[in-house]
Formats: sequence, C-alpha cells, structure tokens
Amino acid sequence: MSSNNPVIKIDNLSKLFFKQEQKTFKEFLPALFTGKKTKEWFWALQNINLEIKKGESVGIMGPNGSGKSTLLKLIAGVTKPTKGAVTVNGRIAPLIELGAGFHPELSGRENVFLNGVILGMSRSEVEAKFKEIVDFAELWEFIDVPVKHYSSGMFLRLAFSVAIHTDPEVLLIDEILAVGDAAFQKKCFTKLKDLLTKDVTLIIVSHDQQLLHKMTERIVQFKNGTCG
Amino acid sequence: MATHFNEKTRHYFELIRELTSREIKARYKQSILGYAWVILNPLFQMLVMAFVFSKIVRFPTVGTPYTVFLYAGLLPWTLFANSLTGATNSLVQSANLLKKVYFPREIFVISTIISKIVDFLLASTVFVIFLLFYHQQISFNILWLFPIFAIQQLFTYGLSLFLAALNLFYRDIQYVLTLILTVGMYLTPVIYPTEIFPSQYRWIFQLNPMAVIINAYRQVILNGNMPNLISLSIALFVSGIITLLGYRLFRKLEGVFADVV
Repeated sequence: MSSNNPVIKIDNLSKLFFKQEQKTFKEFLPALFTGKKTKEWFWALQNINLEIKKGESVGIMGPNGSGKSTLLKLIAGVTKPTKGAVTVNGRIAPLIELGAGFHPELSGRENVFLNGVILGMSRSEVEAKFKEIVDFAELWEFIDVPVKHYSSGMFLRLAFSVAIHTDPEVLLIDEILAVGDAAFQKKCFTKLKDLLTKDVTLIIVSHDQQLLHKMTERIVQFKNGTCG
Repeated sequence: MATHFNEKTRHYFELIRELTSREIKARYKQSILGYAWVILNPLFQMLVMAFVFSKIVRFPTVGTPYTVFLYAGLLPWTLFANSLTGATNSLVQSANLLKKVYFPREIFVISTIISKIVDFLLASTVFVIFLLFYHQQISFNILWLFPIFAIQQLFTYGLSLFLAALNLFYRDIQYVLTLILTVGMYLTPVIYPTEIFPSQYRWIFQLNPMAVIINAYRQVILNGNMPNLISLSIALFVSGIITLLGYRLFRKLEGVFADVV
C-alpha cells in the first residue's frame, strides 16, 4: 500500500521563536531606554528528524507547548524553519480550525467556494464537487444561510467536508475532531480510513491517545520541542 | 513544468478573485441599503464639503463648478485612503488563515485594493452624472485617465506592502496611518486648487505623488488638457521605487508573518 518514497521529510529541523512582550510603540520605546529586554528567544522545536511515507498515518502527541502545532505550521509551509529543512511532495490540505477561512456573513455555499479555493482547488473543481461536499456535511437545508447562524457542529462539518474533498495528498488535522456529535465523528473516521486506502497521508495532532491508536499506525511523542 | 506554472498562476488569480468577492459581498450584508452606501457615503461627504468650501470658505476653482472640482479630487483620494487603510489591516484580519494555509501573502493586499477599486468605480458613476449635468466638455486627453490611474495604483500598492507587513509587528501603524491620512488630505490639493499658492511654492506639491495624481486627473477631465508629464514621471518614478522596496521588505518578512501575528 505505502510506497517507499517519503511524502514528508524533516531534516534536523529547529525552530526558534521569540516571545515578543511589547506589542506597541508605547511599550517598545520606554523599553529601549530602560534596557528592558523586548524579546526573549526560545526553541519551539529542536533537531527534529522525521520521515513520513505515502499513505502512512501518523499521530502526534505531547503536552501543550511541546511544539506539535509548530510542526504542522512548518509542514504546511506557513512558517520557515530556523535550521534544517522540511520537504513535502504533494498537495497539503490543512483542516483549518473552526472559522479560519470562513466568513461569518457569507452563506455556506459562498464559503464552500471560498474555502475550496483557499485550500488549493480551482473554482470549477469546487463546482464539480459541490454536491458531494454538501452531501457529506448534510447541510443542504442551511446551505444558503450565513454561517454565523451555524452551530459549531455544523461549522465543523462543512469545514471538514471541504478539506477532505480537496483531493489532498497530505491531510493535516489539528485537534479538531473533538467537536461534532458521535454520529458525525464516526462518519469522519470512516472517511479518513477510506482516504488512507487511497494513499493519502494523514497527520493528526491530538491529546486523545485512544483516537490516535485507532486512527494511526504510529505515534510520535513530543516533549519540550523534541520528539522521541 | 509549464503546465505546473500555469496552474500556479491560475490558482493565484482565482484566489484573488475569491478573496476580493468575499470582501465585497461581506461588507454590507447586514445593511438595508447594502452596496448603495458605497455611492452614498462619498456623495454626502462631497455635498457637505462643497457647502462648506464654496459657500463659507470660497476657493477659486478656475472655471469649474466647485462640486465637480471637489469630486474629481475627493473620489481618487477616498480610493487611496480606503485602499491603504484596508490593505494595512488585511493581514492582521486574516491572521487565522495566515497561520494555517500558505499562499503568496500579497494576495491579501491585492484583493483588498481591488475591492476598493470596485467601490471607487461605483462611486464614480455619480461623478459622471455630475459631468453630464454641467455639460462638461470632454477631449481625447481623457484617455490619460488610464495611465494616471495606473500610477495611483502602483503608489498605493507599494505603500500598502510596507504598511501591511509592518502592521503585523506593531499595530500602531494602523492608528498612525489614520492620523497621517487625515493630515494628508489637507496637504494634498483635494479640497483646494494648487493655484491658491504663489507659483514659486507650487513645486512642493511635486514631491507628493498623490498631489500630482489628483492635479493630473483634474487637468485631463476638467480642462481637457494633457497632464504635466514631468510631474507625472516623477510620481511614477517615486511609486516604482516605493513598490520595489515595499515588495522586498514584504518578501523578507513574509517568512515570519505567521510567527508574529
């Protein structure tokens, strides 16, 4: 099922962050004179090496602040590594957290198009898959209602549905499946398993050990920016 | 390889299109008059100012009715101010997206500016009606509008890249900008003609691209003349430099946008 070429290759990756304490000039200017430090650096990730093969599903676990989400950001390409490299071969779809990319004033229909294109589809691709997306989300009844009137569960269903219909080669999931009722969760798992048989690579960040054991082949533990 | 490039370019434009239409659709969704506000706002602003500056303080306008004279400067200035304000906030407002999905960040800036241009075009319809009403003579020089408009957009885009990037680090930028724009409107010949200043001082306006641009608009629309090509060339040059520097700064900081926002 899974071939040998890695979809994601992480080489000696480190990411330095700074805690910026002064966010405005008002705080920044006096800090210049008093010599108070304006920045404090810390390593969010240190010397990470990881190879993920095509069709593999990997769980990422660890306490808050251990660098899990930073890793996802680096894989998604929204932030650059300080040292080392991340190589990704294939289309990535991040399952973005509730709301990001959705505009509350726009209808479900408008948001499907908006989000689809944001995640890398073309308009015509979204058009072709529109029925499938709404079917999966079970939202035909509310598709023309502004999404600000959606419940968080409905929101999630739509977001999830758009993300998995983008034909991703790598799907990034960050602690999101916790929302939504049991029935929909089950549906999501079935869909994810289905994607795995189609050689989609899955990376799930979660605290839920049970979920990760069920969904993934291996689990990588993160602690203080290092993985074991 | 070529098809890959084409696909990238196509996606780039589709993103701009979607984000622009998001901006436009969302803006007035919950108001009764909806998009009409885009036209009504500058119209009312113009009427109030026209009353103040033609009835109370009297500016000479060299042969054109003051309302028309004012509108010809106020519309492009409003476009400039709205574009800058919108673009400066564009990255901060899309922080959620910035942190999750990668696509070229300038797309946020570009789509904000385009949505303001759409507003501008709609608001301009009233101006055209004014021109017809006052039987304003139009000459072929009106075609200069296109290059003048292009220079204005280049200038706007360059400044926007600077402001949008820096605003991610320090939110003061957006407040300082509001202040500068308020002052800037009075430093730019929007409500008055440059002719109210003695001719030996007028060159100072050449240093302000928006002053040059607004004078040029008036020259080609209201007087049917050629714009001052020397001033316009300077404005083009300044805008070009600003865009170049803005783009370089933007590219340089882009890698840490998601970390600082």
